[in-house]
Amino acid sequence: MLRRSPYWLALLAVAIVEIVGHYVVQSRVVTDADWARASARVRTAWEPGDLIVPAPEWSDPLVRRELGDLLSLSDAGRSDVSRYRRLWTMSIRGHRPREAPDGPPEHVEVVGPITILRWALHPERVRYDFLEHVESAEVALGDRACRWDRGRPRGGGLGAGPIEAGERHLCDPRRPWLWVGTTVMEDLELRPRHCIWQHAAAPEAVSATFRDVPLGDRLVLAAGLYYEHERTLERGPVEVGVFLEGVEIGRLVHRDGDGWKELSFSTRVPARGAREVGTVRVEVTAPDPHLRSLCWAATTREGAP
Amino acid sequence: MSRPFGARDHLVGLVLATSYIALLLASSAELGMSRDEGFYVEAANRYAVWFEQLFADPSAATTREAVQRGWEYNHEHPSLVKSAFALSHLAHQRWDLFPTPSMAYRFPGMLSGGLLLWLIYVFAARAYGRQVGVFAALAFALMPRIFYHSQLDCFDVPIAFALTAVAYCWWRSVADWRWAIPLGVVFGLALETKHNAWTMPAILWAHWVFVALARRSRGGEPGWRRGAFMTFAIVGPLLALGGTLYFGVLVPVLATETSLDYELVGHPALALFPIPLYLVLLALAARLAGATRWTRFVPWGLLAMAVIGPLLFVALWPWMWFDTAARFREYAAFHLNHVHYNMAYLGVNYFQPPLPVSYPWVMTLFTVPLVTLALALSGIGARARALLPPGLLERVWPVGKAEPDASSTDVLVFGMMLAPLVVISMPWTPIFGGTKHWFPAYPFLAMFAGIAFVFVARAVRERLPAWVPAPKYTARLGVAALLLAPAAIETIHSHPFGLSHYTYAAGGVPGAADHGMNRQFWGFTTGSLTGWFNEAMPSGGTVWICDTTWTAWRMLQQDGLLSDDIRASGDLYGSDYAIVHHEHHFVEVDYQIWAAWGRVAPAHVLTYDGVPIISVYENPRRAARRAAHSSGVTPVR
Repeated sequence: MLRRSPYWLALLAVAIVEIVGHYVVQSRVVTDADWARASARVRTAWEPGDLIVPAPEWSDPLVRRELGDLLSLSDAGRSDVSRYRRLWTMSIRGHRPREAPDGPPEHVEVVGPITILRWALHPERVRYDFLEHVESAEVALGDRACRWDRGRPRGGGLGAGPIEAGERHLCDPRRPWLWVGTTVMEDLELRPRHCIWQHAAAPEAVSATFRDVPLGDRLVLAAGLYYEHERTLERGPVEVGVFLEGVEIGRLVHRDGDGWKELSFSTRVPARGAREVGTVRVEVTAPDPHLRSLCWAATTREGAP
Repeated sequence: MSRPFGARDHLVGLVLATSYIALLLASSAELGMSRDEGFYVEAANRYAVWFEQLFADPSAATTREAVQRGWEYNHEHPSLVKSAFALSHLAHQRWDLFPTPSMAYRFPGMLSGGLLLWLIYVFAARAYGRQVGVFAALAFALMPRIFYHSQLDCFDVPIAFALTAVAYCWWRSVADWRWAIPLGVVFGLALETKHNAWTMPAILWAHWVFVALARRSRGGEPGWRRGAFMTFAIVGPLLALGGTLYFGVLVPVLATETSLDYELVGHPALALFPIPLYLVLLALAARLAGATRWTRFVPWGLLAMAVIGPLLFVALWPWMWFDTAARFREYAAFHLNHVHYNMAYLGVNYFQPPLPVSYPWVMTLFTVPLVTLALALSGIGARARALLPPGLLERVWPVGKAEPDASSTDVLVFGMMLAPLVVISMPWTPIFGGTKHWFPAYPFLAMFAGIAFVFVARAVRERLPAWVPAPKYTARLGVAALLLAPAAIETIHSHPFGLSHYTYAAGGVPGAADHGMNRQFWGFTTGSLTGWFNEAMPSGGTVWICDTTWTAWRMLQQDGLLSDDIRASGDLYGSDYAIVHHEHHFVEVDYQIWAAWGRVAPAHVLTYDGVPIISVYENPRRAARRAAHSSGVTPVR
């Protein structure tokens, strides 16, 4: 019965479906020319304060190839989209960026196989970005001041961790990982984070003090660890204390598995008094600092979240 | 189930083999060397020096120092295949046999691929008929990942060939004990090819259970005596092999490791006893049960494997000639405690076990042509009755077309197909990642596909309207062409991106990217960038090469694909260009380049079906120099 079954003929249909399917897949491949045409459209309408993101995320290198000059390190390694006015994406294969607002886009334009989408965002007013002031910060390991140094970036390669910035505060020549400066780190979700590397030490704290910081209404702090140091989920916590005029206004406790973690603290605290600017100290500690490669980013902002 | 077979059949096998090797030689010319190939080229070069010494002065070559010098590098893998690479390389040096140096190293791998087609044909034709044999060989050859790996100087296709050869010799030995000796030799060669071979005795013993049960009617009159005899016929080989392995391998290895007292754990000389003891006891049990021809209840092949295999393993691997126990222990420890590779699967980057149990099954679905899989499953369905254990078959499925043969061939083919996939599915198996680790399953999967093909061809022929002229082979050839066409189209399309290729079942390469599947490993795609680099750096320059090895880069230059003055660099910040091979966990390198060079835009993205494979970044200082040069301004360095 099996031998005479029409089932066997269905296998011929599988072959035909696979052949047709192969050519359908090929016909839908997005070409470099498609990317160039769509990118030209975005470029002409792009304005400062806009953010361009890929959808799907695997197309990111192609988007950066076309429009990477419109993306700074801070854009690519952003903590969130709260500072941007508009969000652009060049969507293929029906994908939507995960950072897109819930509502429909304000602009939709189809360019070949690419759909250009744009959403209006509601940016917060950023008063101060700590990433931009690392050089002027006073960095210390315990009570010993660290030294500002200009060299060439060092490192590179799989598993090597973030690049050591050429310009950074050097804290201990015997522990070369104890430097403070900006880099781009791979977080637990493999996402880029433009951040200030401030590896924990023990028994001393590693601190960075920023003076004359416009305080706004709140301070938004985000922090994470280098992917390979966090992914095994087996090491101890790291703490980031934030002090305004020497008084603690917030503390972020990072445990393995937290990934890139963001917290917001009010800067409207008694220690501030009537001042609009103040001194902010960011202090990193860990009971066991081994592989506690903390990297953080922070801004002060105005308005409620 | 062995069918009539003659010289003309071997001619078919020869044609299949030579055609495939010719195709592989032609296609490999544009395939850049991958990471692991680079290591094996290094090993082959050292072995080649040793072989030259061996030819010139054998006594000097066999000293401890000479062996140490020649064979220490990459001693975590056995030497047989690398020796073949070395000898091919030496032959090329002497007679200039190949168009490029890479091809010389790779030729033994291609030869394995070709010979494997020949063997698949022979095995399947003998077991199921010539049509099955031809179709199975072609279906195997036209798996995109098989085609890719068949071009390399690596172990994965050679071990698939070796294990298929072990299964074939075993199958023959079940019917004819004289095949036990070739089986022992082939098993020794398999052990010397790759460590997968150590799993073979367990698989073959499981098959032996079916064979022994099928012969139970000759085990004497029904009753407890026959029961005892049959039990010993099944369990005895396990005890004999286990005892031989324990005393012959484990005791010497463990004793030197832990300073165990031989009096407590047994002496290695005791390894001589388990097999004879087993044979004596089996003969006595047979006499007691009244069994006729008790020797038919001895798996001679397994015994030969236990005796010849390990001896050949040591004899052919010079590294094992000195400090054998310690070095074997190191070899075993390397593979038992293998590092875990990063592997992206359905959007998650796995870096330590367990990988999901579904991993090898879904990867097989996504990388083997869909129609080949559908045929294989249908073939299994068609032979399902023959897979049931004797005794159970008569009770649960008494009547059916598929009859098991005396050698339980279907069970062997099914077991060989299933075992590699099951091993990789186990939660304690290290993360290896690539489909290549279960390649030994595919020859047998292809055989089941071949079985189904015959059913399809027959169904078509029977349904052809009377007015359609149908010469003897027309329908068969037409059906074969249609069923193999998707595989052929996909294999052609996969070149030279074999490891990045996914079939229609995954939605093609873009569909696999959507699913978050691994896009490549070994940095094998660098060869596809040579044209771009030659054009971008007409006066030479440096490239930070990410996952590419220095040897692989050098081979691109020796093969004439890449200009000699475009040098590999280990200095990311100072190089002219830097590349990133797109695997999930390699994004770290993207970010390093962004941070080092202060920009996020790649100068070039190598794509395959629109999916990024490699990003190339240009150092901004070089870009500035280039811009200044083209505008006539003196560049500032």
